[in-house]
Amino acid sequence: MSTGLRIPGPAVDATRAGRESVIEVRDLVKVYGRDTRALEGISFDVGHGELFGFLGPNGAGKTTTIRILATLLRPTSGVARVAGFDVATHPHDVRERLGLAMQTPTLDAFSTGRETLELAGRLHRLPAAKLRRRADELLELMGLSSVARKLTGTYSGGMKRRLDLASALMHDPPLLILDEPTEGLDPQSRTALWEELERICAQGTTMLLTTHYMEEADRLCSRLAIVDNGRIVVEGGPQELKETVGADSVVLQLETSDGAADDRVGAVCRRLEGFVPCEAVTPHPAGVALAVPDASAAVPQLMRRVDGDGLHITGLQMSQPSLDDVFLKYTGRHIREEAADQPIVMWG
Amino acid sequence: MNTLTAFTYETYWMGLRTTRRFFRVPSNWLSIIFFPLIQLLVFSQLYKDIVQLPAFGHQSYLAYLAPGQIVFASFLAVGWSGYGMLVEYRNGYLDKLRASPIARSSILAAEMVPLFFEAALMAAVLLVVSLLLGASLVTGVGGALLILAMSGLFGIAFAGVSFIAALLTKSEQAASALSLLMFPVVFISTAFVPRAVMPGWMQGVNDWNPVTFQIEAIRRLMLVGYDWSAIGKAVLSLLIVGALLQTGTLLAFRRLAR
Repeated sequence: MSTGLRIPGPAVDATRAGRESVIEVRDLVKVYGRDTRALEGISFDVGHGELFGFLGPNGAGKTTTIRILATLLRPTSGVARVAGFDVATHPHDVRERLGLAMQTPTLDAFSTGRETLELAGRLHRLPAAKLRRRADELLELMGLSSVARKLTGTYSGGMKRRLDLASALMHDPPLLILDEPTEGLDPQSRTALWEELERICAQGTTMLLTTHYMEEADRLCSRLAIVDNGRIVVEGGPQELKETVGADSVVLQLETSDGAADDRVGAVCRRLEGFVPCEAVTPHPAGVALAVPDASAAVPQLMRRVDGDGLHITGLQMSQPSLDDVFLKYTGRHIREEAADQPIVMWG
Repeated sequence: MNTLTAFTYETYWMGLRTTRRFFRVPSNWLSIIFFPLIQLLVFSQLYKDIVQLPAFGHQSYLAYLAPGQIVFASFLAVGWSGYGMLVEYRNGYLDKLRASPIARSSILAAEMVPLFFEAALMAAVLLVVSLLLGASLVTGVGGALLILAMSGLFGIAFAGVSFIAALLTKSEQAASALSLLMFPVVFISTAFVPRAVMPGWMQGVNDWNPVTFQIEAIRRLMLVGYDWSAIGKAVLSLLIVGALLQTGTLLAFRRLAR
C-alpha cells in the first residue's frame, strides 16, 4: 500500500540524508482476530532528532502502530525497525533503546515517585550511582521533588503524566514514543507538557507522538503523518500541509446603512473588482467571507476598498487553514466528528 | 550480565515492589490474619469441651486448633494474589513491564517469590499468638523455622489457584470465587477435629487432602516432635500441587502476556 502523498519539508530532508532512520516502517499490516483490520499497509520513516506526529481520529490505527513499535504487539505482516533493530526478531534490543509513555499513565499506585523512577532505571540496567542522580535530576525537572516520597496513587493527573514521562526518560533513550500525551489534561498542564517535550526534543531525543489534537500536532511536530482507517493519507510538515489546502479566510463583519443589506455580497464584490475575484466572496452570517492567498497582506486593501459609502466594517476575522482542514481535504471528514467537538463560532 | 544473574536482579527489584504493594495496604494483611485469629480465640473457648470426646486424643483444644489456623493464615495470604496482577494488566502497568528489556519470566517470579515470605509471615503471626495463648511448641526455634518455611511453600503452591482464575478469566469476581472454592477443602481437613472423630467418607477425603498433610505435619512439630514422615508427606504433596498449579499459572501468564 502506498504512503499517500508525501510533501517534503526541505530542512528535514537535509538532516536525514545519509543517516539511518531511527524508525523505519514498511507495509505494516495488522488484523485483529479474523476481520478487524487496524492497519492496512503503513510505511513511514522517522529521522534522528525529529518530532514526528501521527494525527488522526480515534480508531485510525495510531495506538496499534505504537504498540507494534513498542514490541507489545506482533504485526500481521510488514516490517518495523527501531534504531536499526527489527521489532519482531530483536525485541530486547528495541526495548533497551525505547522510552514509552502510553495514553494513560502506567504507574503502580503503591510506589512512591522516587521508587517508580529508580525501578525504571534498574530495569534498564542503570548503574546504582547514576540511578540516584538521574532520578534526582528528573524529579527536579518535572517539578516533582516535593512529592517524590509520596505514593503515586495520591498524585494529580498532571503529576502522574509528568512522572510517567520522567520514568520513560530515566535511561536517556534515543527514541521516545508517546501515545496521546496530553489526553484529558487541562490547558495549563497541556502547555507545560508541550514545553517539556520541546525541550527534550531540542536536546537530541527523537520523538514519535500520536494525537487527535490538531493544535498539538501543529505546535510540536516537525513532520507529521495524517492517518485514517489504518492508512497514512498524507505526510509532510504542518506548514506545507496547510499550504496545500489553499487560501486563508477573512471574514468581514458588516453593518450596513440604508437598505444595502440585501446585496452585501454583490456590493463587496463590486468594490473588490480586480483585487479579489467574485467567486472568492461568499455570504456569511456576520457579513461576507473572503478566500485570499495571504490574509495579513490583503487586509489593508480590503479595509480601504470595502469600508465607506453605505458599507461599514465593524469587525474582521482572519484564519489560516487548520490541520483539520487538511484532514477534511484528504478524507472528506473532520478529525472529530462529534458535534460537541466542533468549534463554536460566535458573532455579535 | 548473564541470564541467571539478570533474572535474579530483575526478580529482586520487581519483587521489592510487589512486596511493598502488599504491605502498604494494611487492610490486606489485617484481613488475612483476622479470620484465623478470631477462629482461634473464639472456638478454643466455645468448643473447648470437644476434647472430652473419647476418640479425640488431645488435652487442649487451643493446642489442637493452632496448626489449622496457621495453615489457614498462609492459605488466606495468597487467596487474592492473582488479583494484583489482574489490576496491573488492566491499568497498563503490565505492558510497561513487557516493553522493558527484561525477561518475561521475571515478571511472574516477582509476583511469586514475595508470596513465600508473605505466607510465612502471616503464619508466624498466628504461631506467635497461639504460643501466647498457651499452645506449646516442643520443637522450639528449629520447629518454628520449619513451620514457617513449610507455610511459605504452602503459599506458593496454592497461589496458583488465584493466578489461574485471574489470568484465564480476567475477571475479579472469578478470582475470588475460585478462591472461595478452596474454603471447603480447608474446612473438611483435620483443622477442627481429628480424623478419628470424622464420618467415614470424610476420613477417606483426608487421605488425599494436602491441606490435612500440612496441618498434621505442623501439629506434630508443635505437640510431639520432628515427625519426618509427616513432614515429608506434606512437602511432597505441596511440591506436586505446586508444580501442577504453577505450570498452569505459567501457561495462563504466557497467554496473557505474549
